[in-house]
Amino acid sequence: MFETVDSIQQTLHAQDYIAERGLATAIFLALKLGKPLFLEGEAGVGKTEIAKVLSRLLQTDLIRLQCYEGLNASSALYEWNYAYQMLHLRLLEASGADRDEMQAELFSRRFLQTRPLLQAIESSAAGHPPVLLIDEIDRADEEFEAFLLELLSDFQVTVPEMGTISTEQPPVVIITSNRTREVHDALKRRCLYYWIDYPSFEKELRIVRTKAPDVEPLLAKQITAFIQEMREMDLFKAPGVAETLDWTAALVALDQRALSLEVIAETLGVVLKYQDDIELLTPEVLQALHERAALQAQSIPG
Amino acid sequence: MPDSDDQTLPVLPDGTVHHGGQLLHNLLLFGRVCKVLGMDITPNRMIEVAHALAYVALSNRQDVYHTMRALIVTRRRDLEVFDEAFDLFWRRPTDDWTMLNLPAVGDERRGGMKFLMPAGANPSGDTPNTKPAPELTLTAVVPTYSQHEVLRYKDFADMTDEEMASARQIMDKLPQSLGFRRTRRLKPGKGPNLDLRRTLRENMRYHGEILTLPTNAPRFKPRPVVLICDISGSMERYTRIFLHFMHTFASRMDQVESFVFSVHLTRITHAIRHKSVDHALEEVGTTVKDWGGGTRTGEALRAFNYRWSRRVLGRGAIVLLITDGWDRGDPDLLRHEAARLQRSCYRFIWLNPLLDLPQYEPLTRGAQAILPYTDDFLPLRNLANLEVIVKELQKLNWRQNSRMRNRTVSLNR
Repeated sequence: MFETVDSIQQTLHAQDYIAERGLATAIFLALKLGKPLFLEGEAGVGKTEIAKVLSRLLQTDLIRLQCYEGLNASSALYEWNYAYQMLHLRLLEASGADRDEMQAELFSRRFLQTRPLLQAIESSAAGHPPVLLIDEIDRADEEFEAFLLELLSDFQVTVPEMGTISTEQPPVVIITSNRTREVHDALKRRCLYYWIDYPSFEKELRIVRTKAPDVEPLLAKQITAFIQEMREMDLFKAPGVAETLDWTAALVALDQRALSLEVIAETLGVVLKYQDDIELLTPEVLQALHERAALQAQSIPG
Repeated sequence: MPDSDDQTLPVLPDGTVHHGGQLLHNLLLFGRVCKVLGMDITPNRMIEVAHALAYVALSNRQDVYHTMRALIVTRRRDLEVFDEAFDLFWRRPTDDWTMLNLPAVGDERRGGMKFLMPAGANPSGDTPNTKPAPELTLTAVVPTYSQHEVLRYKDFADMTDEEMASARQIMDKLPQSLGFRRTRRLKPGKGPNLDLRRTLRENMRYHGEILTLPTNAPRFKPRPVVLICDISGSMERYTRIFLHFMHTFASRMDQVESFVFSVHLTRITHAIRHKSVDHALEEVGTTVKDWGGGTRTGEALRAFNYRWSRRVLGRGAIVLLITDGWDRGDPDLLRHEAARLQRSCYRFIWLNPLLDLPQYEPLTRGAQAILPYTDDFLPLRNLANLEVIVKELQKLNWRQNSRMRNRTVSLNR
């Protein structure tokens, strides 16, 4: 489908996702080599978004597995519906079924609840490989990582009562991490790795313009310049692209045509989520940032 | 980072594939370079790179760069070294170009001077790797009870190398973990939750009659430990023993993160993980740039909170702060950051080498600022203290209330 890195980059752009060359290359290779893509980066730089865009662009389903501590095979892979099984057991008893019959009945397909990983493998086996997003792997524990390692190497699941389900054509796997914990090297080794950084001014401006087409060009430039200035500060949590877009939406909703000091102060909570960071932006600091942002916005043509 | 699109690779001067054999050779060579620079390279990995390169235009230097980078680099900290190595390796060959440049790549980044150990950190005045020949008058310390007793109360600062070795023996009795944390993962065992999966399976043998009700119990895991040690001027006499202390922690426990600070905060987790303590200290010596400087505890804690807390304080970590509380920074900042640190960890323990002195009272501005936010305040000046700490640490576990403030353990001596 995609023969060059350029075609990927252009298609991503057509889907409103502005990707750097490096990221486009990594995605291209993930598709070509059938390897999982491991994305790391600060919160709000568009890691999860890639999976969504990719599923649109490949016209396949997106299957998402949100990781959390204690995530285990029964919530990630499959589980039997025990309540139904037990009810059914009573019925079987009443009908006087023998043991083998019972076993075969109880562990049949209709009592199997498939979870994201099995769903992904089954769809792939049926010829529609989906995009499988394993989100925030750092939140899961090491045991789950080990389990995933095995799964990602052969894309094969064995349900003891039903047999083995495997696929020749693996799903497109995207794994994201916020680095609240180091993910084991063995897992990373099986993947293509890409670190998503905060975007440059030009790139972020393009993102704002693409995602919020009805924003005033001057305002878009000012917002981007202001956010870029903020990232230079020593903040507990620097604003991500997600915050930039939220802020743009907020300012558009407030009918703003250019950044004014009052509105910045009123809407700062959209951008900064820690009280310490908000306190750091005293009126003087805000004014200085505002002036610099305005200056930079002016110097950019278009 | 390479930026021009039209530059051709040195191995393919015409952009043709005639010299494919040479490309593979160079590729493997480059793999070795990356391995030497600390990247996670396996033969399999390089085969994958070769496969991947078949899909991109070899004449496009940037695509080749991104392809290799995506496959070779697996950690953010390697990105910079990789870029440097790539630039150096894959360039148009010139006459003066030799392989000898390559090993220097990593060194340039580490930058400049190599410290081994601060001279002052060692009370006997010699540096650990240039030890003078042992004096003839010195007799071996026989570990008899009485000598051991004397040693137990001896100030770390006054200890000789041999005594230090005994100190290490006591440190080796440190627990394998500092308490356990209840995880969300379950295992078969006594507990309130029915294990339906096993209930159904086990009772199949009674022909579907539910006779047993197996349950699940939570699984427990050791808590992560974070060590933050003051290596400023006022702590100089203790620095060496505390680095030993940190090394013992790092080598005995699973998840230990180590930091030192005087003016700046430096992460030494990787450096101190070496098996041999001498090797580890040497490595730490090269990593840390500000031995025995002034103390800016507030700034250091701030740097920790801002840059590292999210990465290392997850999963109920225990923080051990080793400092004497002499601080020249802003006390308000220190108070603020200590409070934040306490809020974001399971337990905040302050180990102070001066606390055990009879005349010591935590009156310095720094001590005043940290003290209200510590969960435990323990002395660490001699081996007896160390034994108490080991015992205290062993008692730390999930059952106890983690926020019993200002629990001071005083020793009768």
